[in-house]
Amino acid sequence: MVDVTYQKFVKRWEEVTDIPPQTFGPLTSLYKKMTRRLKVMPWPWFVGVSTLLAFGLYLAFGSAIASLVTLLQRGF
Amino acid sequence: MDVMSAAIVYGVSFGRTVWGLLTRPYETYRRIAGHGKLGELIFVVALLVIYFALASAVKVTAFRPFLLTRQFIVLLMGAVSSISISVGSLWVAGRLFGGKPKLEVVLLAWAYTLIPTVSWFMTTSILYVLLPPPRTTSALGILFSLLFLVFSATLLWWKVTLAYLTLRFGLKFDFAKSVGVALFCAPILFGWSYLLYKAGIFKVPFL
Repeated sequence: MVDVTYQKFVKRWEEVTDIPPQTFGPLTSLYKKMTRRLKVMPWPWFVGVSTLLAFGLYLAFGSAIASLVTLLQRGF
Repeated sequence: MDVMSAAIVYGVSFGRTVWGLLTRPYETYRRIAGHGKLGELIFVVALLVIYFALASAVKVTAFRPFLLTRQFIVLLMGAVSSISISVGSLWVAGRLFGGKPKLEVVLLAWAYTLIPTVSWFMTTSILYVLLPPPRTTSALGILFSLLFLVFSATLLWWKVTLAYLTLRFGLKFDFAKSVGVALFCAPILFGWSYLLYKAGIFKVPFL
């Protein structure tokens, strides 16, 4: 039992240490906080930021966003 | 393992991976880089084929087998060339920046970034039929435009996240090197996308 748990731990440890850790000097903790939210169920953040962006575009360009969407809709 | 069993195994693995990309992208990419199988690519290719068949029907708008087949082949070749150039430039950049990337890992990791791409293109094609452009500046037109922009940007963030995870786990680089690789590949992909745009194949880059 102990061997199995230990083997699982070793396997997990090897997986985690497979890539170099990310460091940004004094900004490392901020980076970790931000990316933690993107690692598991990132959709609320994706949708939230996208909504802000879309409304920002509307505030900046007004009804001209309809032209942008027309271009995108023809872009496939 | 016979063909049917292999298809089921890869199919289940593909389904689990796509669900993982939605809910736990970081862990899922770790698994793709460590244990992913090239057989899963069959399902990504199947998705591309389904999309290009749909896009050909929407673009040609008439039941003309020759034109439909030609359109299908043009789109498929455009996408295959873009994917090959993306994977090739990532792999070369990975080696130039001192890594030892495995081509099959980079290919599989990049192939999964095509899920948001195909999702956007497929939805846009269907919306093109259901609500054909141009969009108007009426209240409903603006509302649709806002929703479409939110949808597009959401899938773009998903794509960017998966592309970054491809660099992180496919090349095993830290943030600084990942940015370097992105800067190396960006002009190549931009140039190729521009060529495809001028050729009238993809107006929005299919990367």
